[in-house]
Amino acid sequence: MIRSLLVANRGEIAVRIVRAARERGIRTIAVYSEPDRLAPHVLAADEAYAIGPAPSAESYLVAERLIEVAKRAKADAIHPGYGFLAERALFAQAVEDAGLIFVGPRSETITAMGDKTEARRRMAAAGVPIVPGLTESVADPEAAVVAARDVGYPVLLKASAGGGGRGMRVVEREEDLPRAFDAAQREALAAFGDDAVYLERYLDSPRHVEIQVLGDAHGNVVHLGERECSIQRRHQKLVEEAPSPAITQEERAAMGEAAVRAAQAVAYRGAGTVEFLYQNGDFFFLEMNTRIQVEHPVTELVTGIDLVDWQLRVASGEALDFTQADVVMSGHAIECRITSEDPLSGFLPSTGVVTRLEIPSGAGVRWDGGIHEGFEVSLHYDPLLAKLIVHGASREIAIARMARALDELVITGIETSASFHRRVMDEPDFRAGTFSIRYLDEHTELLESDTSEEALRAAALAAALLEDEDRLRHRIPRIGASAQVEMSSWRAAGWPWRKGIS
Amino acid sequence: MIYYVAVGERTFVVELGPDGVKLDGDVVEVDLAHVDGTAVSNLLVDHVSHRIVARGTGSGRWSLHSRGRRFEAEVLDERARTIREMTGGSSGPIGPRPLKAPMPGLVVKVEVEVGDVVEAGQGIAIVEAMKMENELKAAGPGRVHAIHVTAGDTVEKDQLLVEFVALDEEGAE
Repeated sequence: MIRSLLVANRGEIAVRIVRAARERGIRTIAVYSEPDRLAPHVLAADEAYAIGPAPSAESYLVAERLIEVAKRAKADAIHPGYGFLAERALFAQAVEDAGLIFVGPRSETITAMGDKTEARRRMAAAGVPIVPGLTESVADPEAAVVAARDVGYPVLLKASAGGGGRGMRVVEREEDLPRAFDAAQREALAAFGDDAVYLERYLDSPRHVEIQVLGDAHGNVVHLGERECSIQRRHQKLVEEAPSPAITQEERAAMGEAAVRAAQAVAYRGAGTVEFLYQNGDFFFLEMNTRIQVEHPVTELVTGIDLVDWQLRVASGEALDFTQADVVMSGHAIECRITSEDPLSGFLPSTGVVTRLEIPSGAGVRWDGGIHEGFEVSLHYDPLLAKLIVHGASREIAIARMARALDELVITGIETSASFHRRVMDEPDFRAGTFSIRYLDEHTELLESDTSEEALRAAALAAALLEDEDRLRHRIPRIGASAQVEMSSWRAAGWPWRKGIS
Repeated sequence: MIYYVAVGERTFVVELGPDGVKLDGDVVEVDLAHVDGTAVSNLLVDHVSHRIVARGTGSGRWSLHSRGRRFEAEVLDERARTIREMTGGSSGPIGPRPLKAPMPGLVVKVEVEVGDVVEAGQGIAIVEAMKMENELKAAGPGRVHAIHVTAGDTVEKDQLLVEFVALDEEGAE
């Protein structure tokens, strides 16, 4: 088993990895940028090393420095988390060249799957269904226009090096393509350091259904069922659940087998995710994420399999000790991504200091968080603050549990997506399980204020009473006045037995 | 004591007197209690419980959280309200609303030039924040009067980006 692990990440995923490692008795080493000196992942780990200033490009993305710290701290292994360097094949290679274990797949696997056009070629060859589109990137807007005529509108522009919605643009009409192409290239360059963009057919109302796979270094690969991730905004997932309310047991088996074939085609080692678009029983390979996924907890809750623990075990050379037949799904799990974005202003990023944090608890509730009170949320990093995850015997119970947990959640000081999630839990189409990745476009009312008269009245009363108390507190007491006069007159009215005390 | 409380688009009149509390003239039974050393309060309105996290931001302004909702309230007493009325407060915008940065970020592109006629909803500028590009759109029709930023500029929240003049106003020039 790995004995010491450097976690090359921050935020909730770094905390998640530190927790898994500590449970295995592994010494954990955190890294931090200047503003992250007191971030939760630093406080959770056994050791911590500074790696640079706030911008990721000068800290969490500096591969050489991370490897240097790992050597200095005498770490055996590096876990990249997700984002940052997780899917940089050169980093994986450099880690192994330095004599360290990279907790993830081989660098060749990352290369093959990281190049989205190469991945499409390989998947087609392995018999995995793919969306109609290009297997090469396009150089300029003119070439894109020509290619789009063959693929057919609407088309989706995607960063070849990308994932996570960055550098993606849907284009409905040819006249909009050149502008969208420029924007996609800029975003791709900024996010991945590579401006290669390709395009494929955009399906009109598919679901995003992905299969979790787990492989070891001995050639074993299993799948752990699907996650339904259709509730998205601009390709960023907002709500995920397992199982999907849409697919049948037969479809699950077919998609699972395709995902295992996909993983075997690249000799997959560790935890990975094969993403599919699903529409009316058909499914198409979208991409493979060669890393732990943000939404991995919903799979953990329905299968009882600890994915991050298995990442560490597989990286240590252990073989999977179960087979496909042993994987049983139980109940239903839902995850809400709590981000520092304001749903009432179109999900614009919000920054500030978390002045109060109350984390939901109780039966079936899990919180994977990366913030604490006093923590400053800046624009330097991803807006994901934490994940609220619930598990229940049925989908209906899980939804009710999530609504209850969201009601318990308090985050003040910054705006968060929580009020949006709370509304989704009440929304009939979500509750019925009838939705596609178009869900948000079809439910724009979820981005408007729904404040009830009762809530407004309560807020007004609270503000007036607080203000009155505040004024009373700051008033200089008159000479000879007794302490009881401090109690304001309205409150005395509420405590009738106290009248006449003063 | 009478307070005028503005919350969202609404203004409520809250009277605190020796006979209790009135909200917009109706008697309500209220109690407000605080958890010591925290910003947590519990408000009972006719026994209906509201768990509130409140923060005073000065001059009668309160930021309140309850059940995942945030409320910004401003509490004025009669005197403050009279002064506010006499000084007129804000006289309302003249012409199309200027475009301001809704969050701090980096200007990636300005999509208009001075003199351009824009329609409501037309993309004006792209500002990148948290690695995502956000297209800022015109609130209404108008002609671009002044542009205060260029691509590559870092902007603060509420910084003025682009100003417009109304098309009819301009016709009168």
